[in-house]
Amino acid sequence: MQFHSFDEAYVDRLRAGDFRTHEHFGEYFSTLIQVKLRSRLQSREAIEDVRQETFARFYAALHEGKILHPERLGSFVNSICNNVLLEHYRTSARHSSIEDEEKDVRACAIDLLGLLSARETEKKVLEVLDQLSERDRRLLREVFLEERDKDEVCRDFGVDREYLRVLLHRAKQSFKSVYLKRTGNDSAEFKTA
Amino acid sequence: MDHDLVVRQKMTERYLLDELGPEARDEFEGHFFDCPDCASDVRGCAIFVEHSKFALAKKSESIPGGVAAAAIPSKPGWLAGLRSALRPAFAVPVLAGLLAVIGYQNLVTYPQMQHALSRPQLLPWASVNVGTYGSEGPVVTTRRGEGFLLFVRIPPDGSYSRYAAELYDPAGKAEWSLTIPAASAQDTSAQDQWPVRVPGANRAAGSYTLAVRGITASGESKEVGRAIFELQIQQ
Repeated sequence: MQFHSFDEAYVDRLRAGDFRTHEHFGEYFSTLIQVKLRSRLQSREAIEDVRQETFARFYAALHEGKILHPERLGSFVNSICNNVLLEHYRTSARHSSIEDEEKDVRACAIDLLGLLSARETEKKVLEVLDQLSERDRRLLREVFLEERDKDEVCRDFGVDREYLRVLLHRAKQSFKSVYLKRTGNDSAEFKTA
Repeated sequence: MDHDLVVRQKMTERYLLDELGPEARDEFEGHFFDCPDCASDVRGCAIFVEHSKFALAKKSESIPGGVAAAAIPSKPGWLAGLRSALRPAFAVPVLAGLLAVIGYQNLVTYPQMQHALSRPQLLPWASVNVGTYGSEGPVVTTRRGEGFLLFVRIPPDGSYSRYAAELYDPAGKAEWSLTIPAASAQDTSAQDQWPVRVPGANRAAGSYTLAVRGITASGESKEVGRAIFELQIQQ
């Protein structure tokens, strides 16, 4: 099935419970939500809580006919996520004792796709990093792995922030190009709507 | 936010380098949730950054410490402590063990997983109805380590905004919890049966219970029903 932009037909398929549309929706927005939440929430459990609640509320709104602009489905999901996040901030401290009592046992299913995809992706990332100079690799290591202050790192390396952005931009472009060359345009990581 | 501006100002890179203020960050997120090209860009960049951390950690072990430290000064991080701990007497047997694990994964585990992933599969399945109570349920017969499908029917009830389904093993221990969206009681065409893929694991044969709780919009929860099924393991 060819997935087009988010539109009324897409929403109708979601509402009808079409499995592949549900799968696409989940994959597409799960990553975006996780990227959005990584800088705001500390724990994986909290990120997963907010992600699941966002999807649950979306599906409730879907079945209640509250999606008035299918072409702006992404904005709708983002708004729900923002509301859930605000509620999480407000209630997380207050409800921490209750959460301790009702331990929510997470489904610890081994994600076969995720496990294999991670290994393939790591190979591609290594290929891209090998193309960089040793200096640029160390720059990225100081910023992403050792999480040093970026201004300090740039001063130490004698570069400015724009150099760092361009470095990341080029590495990202190489990675996407290498990955798509090997896996085709339908790879899960770069699946478009 | 204008898409051309996003591309011109390398918003994806600024976003992932945490360079955007709160307002710009929110605006960019509002943009890429709706823009497929930017969503793809953000996703690709985020994946690259996450995997780079592991790849760069591995690569740092191969750099001669004296040359690198003199050329580009950097604050000693946790890797400095790690290097001092990796003395041969300790490191060699540990590394040999790790190599054995990696070798087994690369030669056995991953090829098997890849083979399983690339082929279509018929899975055992059972249909369970959460709304009815009874001591007997359907039987699912699987092979050891094989997953199966449960078609879970939950009668619609407008009181709940979602359900939480929990699986208990024959010993009564909870294995996992899963959120299921709630169908509207008024909408007769709404989905009330959900296919749940139960992943393969080293399970014991016996009677399993799927307990479903309804959760209201205000967070109150109440058990709506339980379904029992018998799992048989073929040798």
